[in-house]
Amino acid sequence: MRRIGLFMARRIAGGVLTLWAIVTLTWLMYWSLSPQPGRFVYPLGIKVTPYQLQDGARRLGAARPKLTQYGDWWWHLLHGNFGHQWSFASLNDNVLTTVPIAPTLYPALRATLCILIGGAILAVVISLPLGAISGRRVGSLADKVISFVALIGVCTHPIVTGKLLTQWFGIDLKWLPAGGYCTFVKHPTPAGYPPGYESCGGPVAWTTHLIMPWFTFAFLFLALYTRMIRASVAESIHEDYVRTARAKGARERRVMALHVLPNASLRVLTMVGMDIGTALGVAVFVEFAYGISGLARLSVNAMAGDPSAEATDLPMLLAVVTVIALIVVIGNLVVDTLYAVVDPRTGAADRPGRTKEIAAGVM
Amino acid sequence: MTAVELDAPRAAPREAWRLTLGRFLSDRAAVASLVAFALVLFASFAGGPIVSAIVGHNGFDQFPYATDANLDPAGVWSHVPTTTQVRLDEYSNVLPPPKGSPTTLMVLGADGPLGRDEFIRVLDGGKASVEVGVFAVLISALIAVPLGCLAGFYGGKVDAVVSRLTEWVMAFPLIFFLVYATVHLTPTLRPIGWGHDIPAGVPMVALLIGAFTSFYPLRLVRAQLLTLRNAEFVDSSRMVGASGLRIIRKDLLPHLVPTLLVWGAVAVATDMLLEVGLSVIGVGVQSSTATWGTLLAQTTGTIYNAGPGGGAHHTTWHTVWPTIAILISVVSLNQLSESFRRAIEPWRR
Repeated sequence: MRRIGLFMARRIAGGVLTLWAIVTLTWLMYWSLSPQPGRFVYPLGIKVTPYQLQDGARRLGAARPKLTQYGDWWWHLLHGNFGHQWSFASLNDNVLTTVPIAPTLYPALRATLCILIGGAILAVVISLPLGAISGRRVGSLADKVISFVALIGVCTHPIVTGKLLTQWFGIDLKWLPAGGYCTFVKHPTPAGYPPGYESCGGPVAWTTHLIMPWFTFAFLFLALYTRMIRASVAESIHEDYVRTARAKGARERRVMALHVLPNASLRVLTMVGMDIGTALGVAVFVEFAYGISGLARLSVNAMAGDPSAEATDLPMLLAVVTVIALIVVIGNLVVDTLYAVVDPRTGAADRPGRTKEIAAGVM
Repeated sequence: MTAVELDAPRAAPREAWRLTLGRFLSDRAAVASLVAFALVLFASFAGGPIVSAIVGHNGFDQFPYATDANLDPAGVWSHVPTTTQVRLDEYSNVLPPPKGSPTTLMVLGADGPLGRDEFIRVLDGGKASVEVGVFAVLISALIAVPLGCLAGFYGGKVDAVVSRLTEWVMAFPLIFFLVYATVHLTPTLRPIGWGHDIPAGVPMVALLIGAFTSFYPLRLVRAQLLTLRNAEFVDSSRMVGASGLRIIRKDLLPHLVPTLLVWGAVAVATDMLLEVGLSVIGVGVQSSTATWGTLLAQTTGTIYNAGPGGGAHHTTWHTVWPTIAILISVVSLNQLSESFRRAIEPWRR
């Protein structure tokens, strides 16, 4: 137990270091590209004078000493607050109104986490039986079919899967909503909307809206997990303890579920941990295909910047970078801790590496 | 003086190489994937010109009569009037083309409201996509092999810096780096190209993808050298006084070739998929240049031209054609890599 505590402390320190490094690098990169934050204050498309640029930067607080801004940013972060974004800033009667980041960021984060977690669970749940079937008899017809489907899955870009699923099940057959996102908890209709309008929400709407995104997500990762479980099953099916279990009369299903598959669980856990970064990249395309305004899309928008302003919204950029880094760090921490709990022998420090395959392509 | 001594041990690797080749050629899946990828290469580099010569138009020609009055494109295997001028009546309604005007064949129909030949664009798109994949792999190998050799062979501080950097970069989703870098470098790098052979934008996308994916081969090379640097043949080279660089060049690089080959085949496929992703986001090759990514992007829309609405005037088939092309090449490359691995390490199924 003490070992796990020590190990977790080390990992948390490492995670904080990573977070610091990523934020600082983003910060340095932004200021080294000769940015013009003032462009967010004065109307775009109009020729902006140097004075206006200076004034805009001053009003946004971007003209203060860099170290003050840097310190302020961390101070805000410690309060769980990402400050105000620069986009959509409007100057009326000499008063600058800016939009806070948190009300945009947190719903987007929730939507993305719903997609990621649901998709990951679906991928694991589907690939466990598939991997078990094809690992039991390597080279059989079932094995070949499963491997082929998995190969197609990993070679199809999620945007294509999404587009085709939307077209067929959403638009042509009308079985499921073609896109969009509904919250799990139904919020009251906001004031000022016309009578017929109702805000979308509730467990049923939430599920129906997320089924296709989950499948799109799982289809890609299915191949990797199935292949890995297959290898693990094929390895352990000839072990002595499996033969013992069979000899004492355990049914085949019991042997698989209690003696063979638990071996694969460690590797599945490892892979889930390593795929968190990839998954966030895949989420961009899943969200894009279904028109969900989640974190990944928000990040791409923040990274791509405002093309008409030719400027990057630094607070928004830092906010999404921080959240992504936090997801990766926390996700890895959880997985590593689970790993140490599930398999106390290895102490989690030396987990097996894995070859990262084609899924890297879409992240 | 040393020629004879060096030649003698060299006979053995050539024999092993031949064995590997034999194993590769006797594997049906290996040959099939090789043939499939060769076909993809042929179709993308020679297919466009050949089809253009047969049907008499190329992938840039726009035929206004290839779309109907709603701007919906002509379907599969349709003969389209070659008239480039649209006839209008006095109320600006589009009139049908004059009777008996010459027509041209569009095998997969038109690509959208602009009325270009979808088939030739898919073939031409293959050229750009394959180029992105291959160039990106070459660039990442160029970055990864020297750095990986330094880190793996010498270890110490170089290794610590390289490993830490790799860890940090790999913890973060790659696509965000690519989007950020592409957006900031587009004005300077995107115009670079070489006529129709290497369309403008391809070098930029290849360079960025190659640079940001080089961390993976870097780790491979480093890991390989970490295990090899204490091998006996390296010790013996060191004992006869070979310098570190010479050991890397003469003794260790040949051992990297199989690893790099297995990685390279998959990486070409990966990089092609990355190109698709970038184009769909809207930051890759400019949308007027046909790549498999931009062909998909015109049906899905991009972040600048958002949502399913961007796909107006496109049918599901416009998603399906590039997808089939991508699937064939990616699946064959994947299988090719798997077959390389099986031929090189037959003991590891």
